[in-house]
Amino acid sequence: MTTSIQAERKVEVPKNYETWAWLLMRYSAVLLIPLVWIHVLINDVLVGVHAIDLTYVQQRWALMGWRVYDILLLSFTFAHGVNGLRTVTRDYLHKLSHRKWLDWGLLAFWFLVSLIGAVAIIAGVRMP
Amino acid sequence: MSTLKATLSGSVRYRGREGQLSFILHRLTGLGTLLFLTIHILDTATVYFAPNLYDHAIAIYQSTPFMIGEIFLVFSVLFHGANGLRIALFDLFPRFWREPSQRKAFYITLTLAILLWLPAAFIMGRNLIINNFMGG
Repeated sequence: MTTSIQAERKVEVPKNYETWAWLLMRYSAVLLIPLVWIHVLINDVLVGVHAIDLTYVQQRWALMGWRVYDILLLSFTFAHGVNGLRTVTRDYLHKLSHRKWLDWGLLAFWFLVSLIGAVAIIAGVRMP
Repeated sequence: MSTLKATLSGSVRYRGREGQLSFILHRLTGLGTLLFLTIHILDTATVYFAPNLYDHAIAIYQSTPFMIGEIFLVFSVLFHGANGLRIALFDLFPRFWREPSQRKAFYITLTLAILLWLPAAFIMGRNLIINNFMGG
């Protein structure tokens, strides 16, 4: 087995849509590591699903900081996830027209689910 | 569909060693997390849109199969994050992109993810047993 160190090569990257999508993935990823890990540590591990109910959500969102946190979490995780799914589909969809339709579909899906989530965080818990 | 089948069978057969394994794990953990995330956003949204349904949704999460799934979800999130960090770090220092250091980095990533996961899995597994098998 031979290993060679290849020289670094600077390549001009066009500032197109795919470049921005790539940058979104990379930057959101760095942000998501603390955001998601802390969220999972608190709610899944320390609090646990048996201690979660409407009152818990209401108390959490009584603090504006947690609402801002959850809005950030929602925006970055879901955009990262749906764009990741788009990248995965590139391996299976080769026709340009198919890719275009799928992209519009994913965009609509992303927008709709994000909107539903954002409305709930901003409007808050409605006690029945 | 045929490309999907070719990929699935190819993923099993292709002997890309650590690189292939890390690619597959990154995809599976990413897709799995996205699936959960979509459901999670929608069920949390019921606190505003249909508050009566929220307790039903939580009751499903409290069931044994879902709690086991949750333990795997935590592994997915840890591995996907650690592996993403490895890729970002290598891109930042392109001299790392050599076969031996890539191999080593894969094992470091996997070990880190497992080490972070074990205590979490222990606490969650304990919660599962206490709440679902010992009556809380």
